[in-house]
Amino acid sequence: MSETAENLKVLICTGTGGLASGAASVVAAFEAEFEKKGVAAKIGSACDVNSTGCRGLCANDVLVDICKPGEEPVTYDFVTPDLVPQIVDEHVLGGNPVEKKVAGPYYHQFLEKQQRIIFSRCGTIDAESLDDFLAHRGFTGIQKAVTMSQDEVINEVKKSGLRGRGGGGFPTGLKWSFAKGSPGDTKYLICNADEGDPGAFMDRSVLEGDPYGLIEGLMIGAYAIGCKFAYVYVRAEYPLAIKRLQLAIDTCYEKGFLGKNCMGLGFDLDMRIKAGAGAFVCGEETALMASIEGQRGMSRPRPPFPAVRGLWGYPTNINNVETFANVAYIFYNGADWFSSIGTEGTKGTKIFALTGKVKHTGLVEVPAGTTMKEVIYDVCGGILNNRKFKAVQAGGPSGGCLPAEALDAEVDYDSLIKAGAMMGSGGLVVMDETTCMVDIARFFLNFTRVESCGKCIPCRIGLKIMLEILERITQGKGQEGDIEMLEDMAYDIKKSSLCGLGQTAPNPVLSTIRYFRNEYETHIKDKECPSHSCKELLHFRVIEDKCKKCGICPRVCPVDAIEWEKGKVAYINLDKCTRCTSCYDACRFMAID
Amino acid sequence: MVNLTIDGKQITTAKTSTIYEAAKENGIYIPVLCYAKKLLPYGACRICLVEVEQMKGRLIPSCTTPVTEGMVVTTTSDEINKVRKTVLEFLLVNHVVDCPVCDKGGECDLQDLTYEYEVVTNRFQGEKFDLPTDEVNPLIERNMNRCVLCGKCVRVCDEVVGYGSYSFINRGFETKIATAFDRGLNCEFCGQCVSMCPVGAILPRPFKFKARPWQLKDVDTVCGYCGNGCTVTLGVKDNQVQTIRFNEDTGVNHGNLCVRGRFGYSYVNDATRLTKPLIRKGGELREASWDEALVTIAEKFKAAGKDLGIISGARLTNEELLLLKRISSALGTHHLDHSGGECYQGLTAGLNETMGISASTGTFPQVEKCNAILAIRSDFYETHPVFGMVINQAIRLNDAQLSVIADKRGKLSKLPNARTLMHKPGCEINMINALCQVIIAEGLAKTDDLQGLAELTKALADYTPETVAKMVGADAEAIKKTARELAGAKNAAIVVAYGLPYTAHSKEIAIAASNLALLTGIAGREGSGLYLCGEKANSQGAIDLQITPGPAGLGAQQMLNSAAEGRLPVLYLVGEDPVVTYPDQGLVKKALEKSFLVVQDLFLTDSAKYADVVLPAASFTEKDGTFTNAERRIQRLRAGIKSPGEAKSDFVVFQSLLNKLQKTAPAAPAAAFGELTGEVAGYAGIVYEQIGPQGEVWGGETLAPLKKVLIPVAGNEPLQAEYQLLVGSALYHSGSVSTRSKGPMSVCPEPYIELGRDDAVTLNVKTGDMIQLKAAGVTIQSKAKVDNRLPKGVIFAPYHFAGLGLNRIYTGQSVIAVEPSKL
Ligand SMILES: Cc1cc2nc3c(=O)[nH]c(=O)nc-3n(C[C@H](O)[C@H](O)[C@H](O)COP(=O)(O)O)c2cc1C
Ligand code: SF4
Ligand code: SF4
Ligand code: SF4
Ligand code: FES
Repeated sequence: MSETAENLKVLICTGTGGLASGAASVVAAFEAEFEKKGVAAKIGSACDVNSTGCRGLCANDVLVDICKPGEEPVTYDFVTPDLVPQIVDEHVLGGNPVEKKVAGPYYHQFLEKQQRIIFSRCGTIDAESLDDFLAHRGFTGIQKAVTMSQDEVINEVKKSGLRGRGGGGFPTGLKWSFAKGSPGDTKYLICNADEGDPGAFMDRSVLEGDPYGLIEGLMIGAYAIGCKFAYVYVRAEYPLAIKRLQLAIDTCYEKGFLGKNCMGLGFDLDMRIKAGAGAFVCGEETALMASIEGQRGMSRPRPPFPAVRGLWGYPTNINNVETFANVAYIFYNGADWFSSIGTEGTKGTKIFALTGKVKHTGLVEVPAGTTMKEVIYDVCGGILNNRKFKAVQAGGPSGGCLPAEALDAEVDYDSLIKAGAMMGSGGLVVMDETTCMVDIARFFLNFTRVESCGKCIPCRIGLKIMLEILERITQGKGQEGDIEMLEDMAYDIKKSSLCGLGQTAPNPVLSTIRYFRNEYETHIKDKECPSHSCKELLHFRVIEDKCKKCGICPRVCPVDAIEWEKGKVAYINLDKCTRCTSCYDACRFMAID
Repeated sequence: MVNLTIDGKQITTAKTSTIYEAAKENGIYIPVLCYAKKLLPYGACRICLVEVEQMKGRLIPSCTTPVTEGMVVTTTSDEINKVRKTVLEFLLVNHVVDCPVCDKGGECDLQDLTYEYEVVTNRFQGEKFDLPTDEVNPLIERNMNRCVLCGKCVRVCDEVVGYGSYSFINRGFETKIATAFDRGLNCEFCGQCVSMCPVGAILPRPFKFKARPWQLKDVDTVCGYCGNGCTVTLGVKDNQVQTIRFNEDTGVNHGNLCVRGRFGYSYVNDATRLTKPLIRKGGELREASWDEALVTIAEKFKAAGKDLGIISGARLTNEELLLLKRISSALGTHHLDHSGGECYQGLTAGLNETMGISASTGTFPQVEKCNAILAIRSDFYETHPVFGMVINQAIRLNDAQLSVIADKRGKLSKLPNARTLMHKPGCEINMINALCQVIIAEGLAKTDDLQGLAELTKALADYTPETVAKMVGADAEAIKKTARELAGAKNAAIVVAYGLPYTAHSKEIAIAASNLALLTGIAGREGSGLYLCGEKANSQGAIDLQITPGPAGLGAQQMLNSAAEGRLPVLYLVGEDPVVTYPDQGLVKKALEKSFLVVQDLFLTDSAKYADVVLPAASFTEKDGTFTNAERRIQRLRAGIKSPGEAKSDFVVFQSLLNKLQKTAPAAPAAAFGELTGEVAGYAGIVYEQIGPQGEVWGGETLAPLKKVLIPVAGNEPLQAEYQLLVGSALYHSGSVSTRSKGPMSVCPEPYIELGRDDAVTLNVKTGDMIQLKAAGVTIQSKAKVDNRLPKGVIFAPYHFAGLGLNRIYTGQSVIAVEPSKL
């Protein structure tokens, strides 16, 4: 670190989000600009342009930090290549940051309540550079681990209180002890990077931003369990993650950090990436193993658990990406340090992916114990367009929604379950008053029903029937008794399905019924959607006191059914209206119902 | 052992049991739908859910969950019943429920469960399935509108059969079972999927609209085709076998069957069966009374006396063979035999000389637990398909390493873990010798109490893997690997089949194989075994009863020679059709023409056409008695139907003949069995009435060699000819009887000559073109079949079909030089 500390550094976010916003051309622009203007000679220090991983605020990409030696880094957001000459001239050479383009105070607020441990290297170091990794404590965790016995390593993880970040929250140390305890020489370690929850990309960001950190976590796990082969099962939709991780693995092999006698530490470990089969259920551990074995991704009964009979019949331990990433830090800083963060039952931090109607969508890492309210309002700036918050769906399609009154729920496995949701892998979908809760339940169920592997009857057929009932309700064809029937089916499906997918798929329905039963009833009894969002239930009326007379709706109507004059409330001629919903979609004031 | 409580009952069970198995063992009923005893735990249907006190909060599938100490299980409660009922309601939403026209109606698990749980109305609604049905193939009808996706067809075809016809496609509700590219089924047609399907989604097409299941009388008996001795369940109505089903619970070979056993039954009902005795009068066979026929025969036989030649088939029961032997001794003839070319000599001469026994040393269930298996000839799967499935099970369940010594590829070479040791035709012995050589040279041999080691070691000097590999075109490394595996395996099996098309070097191959079995300790070791499997259902019985030439007797081939030269005046053929199936058709025909010929058979066979007297006999479905299969398992046959017309079982015919010869005969098969246990070594102590569904294995699960003598046998020089013909068996057929059965004939209807792709290109032949083979001046012609399992220059033809006249050029050689040409 010392040689580079003197250099000027430009950190550019090149995660999938950054790249999608043009990070590659920003990198090129900086390099070209430095070259062209001979910046290094002028400021008397080398200039490093570093492609880093994601720093969370993806909606504001491309994010660029200018770190001048001896000065606080300055963060710019929404950077485009055209902006680069100005930044270089005024800031790098001139010493005055381009104030107008510097990220606003929200950026600091965004970071303030976070505790970026897993992300400490994401967004700050060059993700593809082994040297950078080594300069940031890389591989010191495994070096420490090998001075301990296998059991001591496992005990350290137990003591840290780390629980699996893949959704279930199973204590990681305990899981390792099972796999270690299974007889036999052939054992497998699997890192689950399938991340199939819609809207979740925590794992992707770790893979892209700190691939060596993940490898280190896997090495510690492999050492503890006594296995010589690790798979990382990455969903095929993550080409950049696969590329970076493969590069990291290749480099590790080259440098002797993987393979025979890793780093000269006296143990062997081979590591291979397996690209996922593109199905949500392949994230379920037994389906994932079937998929690695080259079979259809279909869940298998447990017991026998993977620790006893896993991949190809051998004892296997599966953990999530974030779980392994945590492990490395536990060995940098010690179990006591780790367990000092968080709540009684949940230690350390948790990364969430926020999407939906929140101001700053993106990735946040907060210590356990932070409330949902803090995450949404303090970190992410509250609700978009200053609308009213309605609910947040936690835990993706397997989770549940929390209404405003439940927002004091803490980031904690047990507290979230008590509130009717779950930690899940960390997806948070924020919904405002315009979101219909029946429709949201329908949305998630539509996802799970399609993703069901089709093996067991309750999930394969039950979910489809539940979905059909929900569809009926959102179309105004709900019947008396539908809610009770949904609850009853949900209960039976949860109790009887084979794997976690079916066992949790009804959760969004149950939790929306629990907190928003009245919305269901209004759909069924009054054939109305209280959020005016179910299209079949729209009346295509303009609500007078909501209409701001802006005149946008007549312009979008394809059949000229809307009459409007400047300064007047719009009027929809229902004889002409074809119910295409163009006006409804266009109205920014929810004035059409 | 593990202790647990199920429904308040204290139970002790094996620690490998599942909750379901533990309950079943103890008479506690749990409903199941996707569970199958012979398949791996699956857990899809959720019908079998139970409550376990230690696993509160969800319901536990009893069929997949292993028992644990102290477990407390409840199998029924209001909650369990409700969930089971919900699952059934789900299934019935889209199921077509066309029970009135569904052949499964009456024995359908879905029907039964619906009834049991009184699913009278359905809270849920949805559209009925409307998927196309698979009407293309002749034997297996698939109607996916009735499928409950239990996966049994997929699993059995993969886990047991090792073919893999089916797979799941799509996800969620659209999931379905599909064949490759969703085309019609085109497979081995063993019908295992038919047997396993719990509903009417996979049905035997020949049985369509034949009977409601409850109208069928179930009769468990033994398959009449090959030496596997699988249990078949005849479905009988109107004195006809309407279908053949399986017995998974108590049947031998787990109820597994092949296409012949499952679909090859129609010949027993065939209208062309012989129903009356025929006597040649005025040059023509005319119907006659039994008495007239028997009197004629008795006179002729008495007149011939010791010059009577008797050739029997190996599908007669042990009791019938006993009586046949009595007839031969009553007449004083030693000319008694049961198979063309004395292909059984591997047992009677080979194993006898090396080990003093003439039977396989182990049993099939032991093979399932083997770690290494050597199959000699890839045709083993063709001749003994269900034993092939046993081998597949060893691979799947036990990760066994299979090696196949083969002159052509086959099903066995496609199994996972299979290593095919290819060699030039006719050189099996060279290969086995090389294996023995490696084992001795590398010091892997278990030499305790072996005789002849020094001589064998010396004789094998010329059989190093490198020398053999060079000579027969094999891979030396592969030979070494196989040898080491066989020597090192805890349990290993060596399997080889014999039969009519495999007559050459029978004895020598068996000796080479027993050398290997002795050196590796496979012979006689518990869990391991050397298997010499006869082609026909009672081949082993025929050996046990010594239906072989007496001290001064002629073997089948010699009898035919002798008869052809006019030295054997009378021939008695029982259940054999040598004109079609024996080597050297020219000789056979001459022999049959020259002698006074009595033929006893089901049909007016090509051989019977030469007869002077023809007696109508009974099929295995019409008989009581016993067969002994290739693992020495004695099993009972049970008559399901009465013979047509005046046809009689061989037993009854022999009884009458003995009477005509003024000899007594046992009154019934049971009595005959009692007598034979006194005469046949090994059968002593077995009581007919006590032979259960699994039969009785004579000599015990592991038959110990009486001696251990290593005998050097020389290998063979590869034949120097550009094109070489191999004769053998085709999977869909067994002997010639199957060619009279609609099932096998619908998938393999006619003879063919098989060519590899390279040769097909050279000869410019495509599948379906007519080709001709010329050998020693004789030609045969047939349609060609081109595929990729034959090495260059090797041609194959199955021997079952009369139409091909293969035995016009096949005279017992291991391989025949031929000149092929396109017609
Ligand atoms: C339908 C389904 C999808 C899942 N998807 C994922 C996933 O994408 N990533 C993941 O880490 N775990 C996923 N899981 C959880 C895994 O089965 C498993 O519990 C987890 O990988 C264990 O890791 P942990 O102990 O580190 O949490 C999924 C589970 C279910 C039922
Ligand atoms: S619950 Fe759904 S995804 Fe899981 S096994 Fe059953 S059908 Fe497959
Ligand atoms: S499969 Fe069973 S329930 Fe379905 S139609 Fe046939 S008999 Fe009826
Ligand atoms: S066809 Fe029959 S055996 Fe196959 S999955 Fe469907 S119901 Fe099961
Ligand atoms: S029988 Fe147990 S799940 Fe189907």
